[in-house]
Amino acid sequence: MNPTAVRRLDHEAAEDIFFGQVVMIWARWFLIGAGTIFFLWTAQKSTQVALGILPIVALMVLNFYLHGRYLLERPSNIVQITAASTIDVALVSAIVLVWQSNTAPGLTGLGSPFFVLYYPVLLAFAFVMPRWLTLIFTASTAAVYAAICLPDLTSITTAKVLVLRLATLAAMGGIGTFYWRIQRSRRHEGLGAKG
Amino acid sequence: MSLRPQQGEAQADLDHGQVVIVTARWLLIVVGLFLLVLKPTSSVGELRVQIALLLLLGLVNFVLLARLLRRSPVLPPVAYAASALDLVVVTILVLSQGGDSPTFVLYFPALVALSVAFEPLVMIEYALATAGVYGVIAASRLPTGIDRGPIVATRVLMLAAVAFCGGVYWFVEHDRRRRLERSSS
Repeated sequence: MNPTAVRRLDHEAAEDIFFGQVVMIWARWFLIGAGTIFFLWTAQKSTQVALGILPIVALMVLNFYLHGRYLLERPSNIVQITAASTIDVALVSAIVLVWQSNTAPGLTGLGSPFFVLYYPVLLAFAFVMPRWLTLIFTASTAAVYAAICLPDLTSITTAKVLVLRLATLAAMGGIGTFYWRIQRSRRHEGLGAKG
Repeated sequence: MSLRPQQGEAQADLDHGQVVIVTARWLLIVVGLFLLVLKPTSSVGELRVQIALLLLLGLVNFVLLARLLRRSPVLPPVAYAASALDLVVVTILVLSQGGDSPTFVLYFPALVALSVAFEPLVMIEYALATAGVYGVIAASRLPTGIDRGPIVATRVLMLAAVAFCGGVYWFVEHDRRRRLERSSS
């Protein structure tokens, strides 16, 4: 590949991050909204409220920072937004692993209803990031979730549930990156048509 | 920013996105069949209906794939009807399993696939309908002994979230193409 083509691809990748990160920011706002509803609704003890709301406040601070930078047209770079998404996944995983409430007493791991929080995070990441990074991120998230749920696999029924969730989580990464590629080729087609 | 793009652009979105929708539908069919065949339910009637629905979906998808391979333009009513069928099939699977059916997660790929391909107004209608219908089903069918409200609210919000992210992405890419067109003209 000639140096001009490499430069153009680098520039396009930078633009993907520049313009696309608003999708990730919105996905995180949804995560924050869902977490807030769930914690405030279900916690019965004041310590539970205090502990539960801490990760939400941390995410809010992070997202205010990222959204503010975006609005000032000084969007974050690939390292910062990858780190932010990794923090999202780590927090969701921690909640799936340990958080118990009166809503679903004793339900952590495979029984935790919080696994749905992974979906928008994975999707937004795949819409914006290059394919190789999406592949790593999606596979790592799925592996972490599988590891958390492994002790709860006691029958074929529970294994089916896990397979179904992992397949749909992987689909978020797959569909997102598929669209990423399609949109990129549409831009190239547009430029080609203009000559 | 308009929720209804020009007809030519909406058709281009549909043409480019159809391959993703078809792929997502194959995933839905394969995962659905896998789950039904592996340790099937005890009710033969229920299983019959579920398998028939998935095979019907497979047939529809094959027809759409054939059109894609022949590079025929996608007819919007056909694409909209096929995606509505996806959501109806998932809803029937959820309903047929009763209680807290784990198959509700199949809504996620179905919604995401259409969220970038369909024009935003249509996408919003599909997302609202799906989240609303599933919300009612889950609220009435989740097992007793757990507080259903927060679980249902979280699931519905996440279904809305993935559709919304697809919509935001549609606007981002739409603006980028416009910007490129302006700079190259």
